[in-house]
Amino acid sequence: MDISLEVNGRTEQLNIEPGVTLLDALRERLDVTGPKKGCDRGQCGACTVHIGGRPVLSCLTLAATVTQPVTTVEGLASDDELHPMQQAFVDRDALQCGFCTSGQLMSAVAAVEQGVEDVREFMSGNICRCSAYPNIVAAIEQVSEQVRQADATV
Amino acid sequence: MTNRVDGPLKVTGQARYGLDHNFPGMVYGYVLTSTIANGEIESMDTTAAKSAPGVIGVYSPFDPLILATPTLGAFGPTWVPLQNREVAYYGQPIGFVVAETFEQARDAAMLVEVGYQQRPALTSLEEGLATAEDAPEVRGGDSAELAILEDGVESIEDAIAASPVVVEHTYRTATQNHAAMEPHSAVAIWDGATLTVYSGNQAAHFQSQEIADALGLEPPAVHAVNPYVGGAFGGKARASAPAFLAAAAAKVLGRPVKAALTREQVFTATAGRAATVQKMTLGAETDGTLIALRHDSWCSTDIGRGFVEPTSHGTSREWYSTKNLAISQKMVPLNIPPTTFMRAPGEAPGSFALESAMDELAIALHMDPIELRLRNNSTAPPGKDLQWSSKHLDECYRIGAARFGWANRTPEGHVDGDWLVGMGTATAMFPALRFPATVEIAFREDETATVGTSGADPGTGLLTVLALVGAESLDIKPDRIDPSLGDSALPPGGLSGGSTATASAGTAIMIAAAKLIDDLLALAASPEGPFTGQEVSYAAGRVLAGGRSMSFGEVLRAAGRKSLSAQGSSAPGEELTKHSFSSFGAQFCEVRVHRWTREARVSRLLGVFDAGRIINDQTARSQLMGGMIWGVSAALHEGLEIEASGRFANADLASYLLPVNADIPADIDVHFVKYPDTLHNAMGAKGIGEIGTVGVAAAVANAIHNATGIRVRHIPIVIEDLLVD
Repeated sequence: MDISLEVNGRTEQLNIEPGVTLLDALRERLDVTGPKKGCDRGQCGACTVHIGGRPVLSCLTLAATVTQPVTTVEGLASDDELHPMQQAFVDRDALQCGFCTSGQLMSAVAAVEQGVEDVREFMSGNICRCSAYPNIVAAIEQVSEQVRQADATV
Repeated sequence: MTNRVDGPLKVTGQARYGLDHNFPGMVYGYVLTSTIANGEIESMDTTAAKSAPGVIGVYSPFDPLILATPTLGAFGPTWVPLQNREVAYYGQPIGFVVAETFEQARDAAMLVEVGYQQRPALTSLEEGLATAEDAPEVRGGDSAELAILEDGVESIEDAIAASPVVVEHTYRTATQNHAAMEPHSAVAIWDGATLTVYSGNQAAHFQSQEIADALGLEPPAVHAVNPYVGGAFGGKARASAPAFLAAAAAKVLGRPVKAALTREQVFTATAGRAATVQKMTLGAETDGTLIALRHDSWCSTDIGRGFVEPTSHGTSREWYSTKNLAISQKMVPLNIPPTTFMRAPGEAPGSFALESAMDELAIALHMDPIELRLRNNSTAPPGKDLQWSSKHLDECYRIGAARFGWANRTPEGHVDGDWLVGMGTATAMFPALRFPATVEIAFREDETATVGTSGADPGTGLLTVLALVGAESLDIKPDRIDPSLGDSALPPGGLSGGSTATASAGTAIMIAAAKLIDDLLALAASPEGPFTGQEVSYAAGRVLAGGRSMSFGEVLRAAGRKSLSAQGSSAPGEELTKHSFSSFGAQFCEVRVHRWTREARVSRLLGVFDAGRIINDQTARSQLMGGMIWGVSAALHEGLEIEASGRFANADLASYLLPVNADIPADIDVHFVKYPDTLHNAMGAKGIGEIGTVGVAAAVANAIHNATGIRVRHIPIVIEDLLVD
């Protein structure tokens, strides 16, 4: 079937089988390889992307059902500058092997946007086998603090 | 503190892992696995699969891709799939379907009908204990059974009988899987007679050699590329089934092939950690001095007896000063997937038994567990003349006790609302090793320098270490170093394994740098150089002579050279005849067990480590913290359940429990006592990749006992273990 996907601001036309997941459409058809396949079962979170600004497991989402814009980790930075969350992950060493990082970042950005109270609970859909968890929490707190300060100055 | 140099690439999705490579004309392979644990494949009906949409190849033992068995010196032979009809475990790769798309390959694989001649399968470690076999020679060339007795002592039994205080218990640890986030996978593409394989692996030069051996090629014909590896932990030391199959299929089909194991297949079609049973007997004087230490170990192994998890040899062999020592290692071959190295092989499960038993002995002696450990602190491994080169375990405990508030611990824990709170501690040790390594470094005319070796950085921070040690050795700023790894075209070195990469590659960098500086000076003073015939010296990236100086880039440009390179090699040597080497640590854990639900939560962790010189504080801290969380995982989460049929009941990430963020406290403290061990290597670094996980599971179990009075002698510890009537 013919579908169109808006990915990181670009509209893409694809001809795919109805059973193709958003993750495989991104990775194997559009060469958008930031989202990773760690389990293909919605159990690890490495494939997390945003659809219409909300975090979604792209391995459990059929590409053909996606109507809102998709943002992947490649779409976070703008003008060659890291997104504050990306910078915080670097600053706090919130990654080791980096394979889960794309998904962690997309959930982390959502955590700050949604102003979640329990960050550790919210982030528990993203497994990090290297176990950078305390540093991931520190990175999210760094960005939350920046947002709070920015709000205070406004 | 230096941020990970590949951090920006990893946070923007630009770091391309093996499977992130796509090529025109690429096709997809899907591995088919067995559904019995022991027997012979009688038939495989591939008719429907072959005629399914998009399918271009179906391979099986009846129609195989031809692969020879490679043998790496360090690891022995590596099993390759499809070469015969034997099935030795449930989930063994037995087929490979290649199609135009991933979905087509996966769907077609489901259409293959397999007929088996099934045989009874041995799948239970407990049932196999009675017929356990002696392990072959264990680590360090020691025999499976070893006794070191005081003069006049006839047997370890006599030493135990003569001990005023004795504790004797049996401990059990679960079958585990590395469960790296990146499934084993590969993209293989041929260009004429040369194959390039993109596949996460712990050493590109090994992967190149294994795949070359399997395909009957010379290693230079196989270019293994893995600058980014999505976690390894010992589970990617060898080339994987999808890598062998993709490489061979790509040749036959004349198309690039991408293949990955599913997460479920990763649990069986690779290799994991053995389950263990360990009987500990400790005999002591009433002041805690060890008279006898006996540690008898059994582990599961695959039917090919490919790997022994050396729990006694990895711990009790060396850890304590004891007048009498006896250890043994047996193995129980089962129809289970292969066992292999997994982060702290031997030390991790071994320390659960030894350090739990030490806690039980401390309780029997009414002694503080730290005091008991320091009472038996060793200056050399028992029966060996070679003293520890550098050991500050006592300082680790002193600092750790102060930082953790150990003085507030009571023998019965304390209560905080509905939570029973306890503290536990354990020793951690991991041998300080090096492997041979070669590194090439080069000055370039643009004022930068390269540092390259073939090994891998699966999250360890090795790439950053190459930059830092390169900068220090060349006396220039780290941002002028362009480090590279994960490519078999680079000189062989920096294998990610055995906690060796920093010490091995780092020492080679120092040697290469000294050569390179000599070569630069010779060039500067040569007829083609800018300081012909002058007395020249080097400092901070500049060549000095006769009151003037030039940067290395200027020297190269003046001499008409684009770059100047040198290689350095290092290997373990004479130091092994002079000292024993290890990293040391003291682990502290606070656990809260809910009075009513019996849920156990780790609330604080502290590790104080004596691991020689720390090259990069930030990445070192991260790695040790990750290792400690692995220990929590072993204690409270991980364990494969093996059904009688040999099927793993929980081989996926929903039911093979790994800690998630909410399971782990934000309060994890890592502290270093920094004593460079220059007797081990010139740089003074020892290993940190594995020691973080050692001892933690015992510290958790000891803390649970402190909190509840319940001693659990197996891991993982689950709620049912903590129920009270």
